[in-house]
Amino acid sequence: MSYEELFYRALRIRLIEEAIIEIYPSDKIQSPVHLSIGQEHHIVSFIENLKLEDKIFTTYRNHGVYLAKDGDLKLMFAELYGKIDGISKGKAGSMHLTYPKTGVMGSSAIVGAIYSHATGFALSQKIKKEDSITVAITGEGATEEGTFCECLNFASLKSLPIIFLIENNGLAINIPLYKRENYKIKNLAEAFNLDYFHFANGFEFENINRETDKIVQSVRENQKPTIIEIDTYRYKEHVGIGEDYDKGYRDISELKKWQDIDPLIQDRKLIEKFTPKIEKEIEEAMEFAENSPFATREELLKDVL
Amino acid sequence: MMTYREAIKKSMDLILKEVPDSAIYGLGVTDHIGIFDTTKDLEQKYGKDRVFETPISEDSMTGVALGLSLGGIYPVHIHIRADFLLLAMNQLINSIAKYRYMYGGLYEAPMLIRAVIGRSWGQGAQHSQSLQSLFAHIPGLTVIMPSSAKSILNSYEYVAKHYKNPVISFEHRLLYDYQFENLEKEENPLSSKLLKEGSDITVIATSIMNEEAIKASNFIDKNISLEIIDIHNITDMDRELILKSVRKTKKVIVLDTSWVSFGVCAEVSRIILEENIHLKMPIVNLGMEKATCPTAKLLENEFYTDLKDIVDSIYKLYYEKENHNKTLPSDEEVSYLHKHFRGPF
Repeated sequence: MSYEELFYRALRIRLIEEAIIEIYPSDKIQSPVHLSIGQEHHIVSFIENLKLEDKIFTTYRNHGVYLAKDGDLKLMFAELYGKIDGISKGKAGSMHLTYPKTGVMGSSAIVGAIYSHATGFALSQKIKKEDSITVAITGEGATEEGTFCECLNFASLKSLPIIFLIENNGLAINIPLYKRENYKIKNLAEAFNLDYFHFANGFEFENINRETDKIVQSVRENQKPTIIEIDTYRYKEHVGIGEDYDKGYRDISELKKWQDIDPLIQDRKLIEKFTPKIEKEIEEAMEFAENSPFATREELLKDVL
Repeated sequence: MMTYREAIKKSMDLILKEVPDSAIYGLGVTDHIGIFDTTKDLEQKYGKDRVFETPISEDSMTGVALGLSLGGIYPVHIHIRADFLLLAMNQLINSIAKYRYMYGGLYEAPMLIRAVIGRSWGQGAQHSQSLQSLFAHIPGLTVIMPSSAKSILNSYEYVAKHYKNPVISFEHRLLYDYQFENLEKEENPLSSKLLKEGSDITVIATSIMNEEAIKASNFIDKNISLEIIDIHNITDMDRELILKSVRKTKKVIVLDTSWVSFGVCAEVSRIILEENIHLKMPIVNLGMEKATCPTAKLLENEFYTDLKDIVDSIYKLYYEKENHNKTLPSDEEVSYLHKHFRGPF
């Protein structure tokens, strides 16, 4: 896919989340939000290589993944607003976006919980001899959970068609990497006999798009489980719409470093070209959410069993 | 006639045969013990894709069940000791129980998790626990405790073919060698069951405690008539069946395989006490003593409720006094099987 098309998709995610920031103080959005701002580029570049039947399991930082895998924007806003027309009738909210139609199979607020869901799904694909693959997308912090190694082992043992995509933003909540990890994910891949690829700059649309296309094809054809680690940066606080560079756990110079090379900030020409169209789409989606009714009492006990 | 063990084995075979997209897995399902001979030879018969071993990774392997289920494979995940489920609490409670509700009904996660309660010779603190109430507390899970071969045959076929929610089934190790005559089809396999009609005392029981109740019924004086209700479905016990019986007898004993406080006994008592029923005698709750299960035999025998305790309680309730002067079962009558069981573990 061309730079311009990838840029458009990433800019769309950024502007949608900026609209979320703008509306958030009104309390129309009825749950905490974990924004993807700063991490949109590699998501669209990678996901563009997946087929409709390929599945993704991800975390509470899921807006980018949901949108990149063609999750419906109107239903997303209705979900954030806690409305009955939301994709999960408002029961899920921001942290649990899902869109089974296009293969976004769930988003967990329990760090690392989805590795095994993705592994199990990949096993079902293998048992049924399907041509599709499954992807688990998390931050690097989730790899600290024991289940990560357990799933690498099992995926490797069973030669599953699965990709563990690790977005390394160097932060888990408010804790920097050096305080948490004394291992390299690359070495875990080696220990469990998985293929491993690393991208040091998550902002390289075309490079990531082109290279991960080859990886996706290889996983599909060879059933060789694979880790892709992509370095990126979370611009906003862990949860919420603000910035927290005054809190002492990270320095604003890190942000500046990434912003200086961020096409979604630097490429003014394309930003101007695409913004009006995207803003119109956002406006319509918010209006849809606004006009949808809230779920009422009779919804409370539905779908427990 | 069929043993509990044979009923489980037959059910596992039936699931693989009649539910084409199903898989059975767990630690030990393909070894020479084959989960106490309930999964032996299935790998050879149905293939490595559908019957397989796992690494010792209970939490992840439970999440794998969810992934399989979402992918259209009906998983049967087996734990040779129920205690190992504690390693999978995160997946069971945070993900599996919630998948249907949290996403507004977009998904279903049908699956069967078999877990064996290991009560027997020296199983001690970490190989003997009855954890039904921990799981029954959580909306979204269905917890069952089949008490007979009939209950196994009906429940397992039903949940694998027709039930769209995650089920945790606690099988009692000491039931495995019990012979059962009645194997007939049930209409509602996931409901509580009236095992015996009676008029004097209502006994409400789980799992192997139903067998103890039947033994007690056979032991006591013939003029005393027990009504025995097998709760079976811990998460959705039949309130009406329980209350109807209690309104009739006004005397109740609750028998559970686990601790009394915060458990099935507490829940049944709650259900009864929330109604305006004037009991003739206070409810009697019998289960494990409030201690960790000890290994030494003498202590272990004290730890569990036995036939003697049950018969004693029946006479106290019936005669409405502490000193009934009735003969209680001898040590040998208490339970040959329970006291002489030597594995395999």
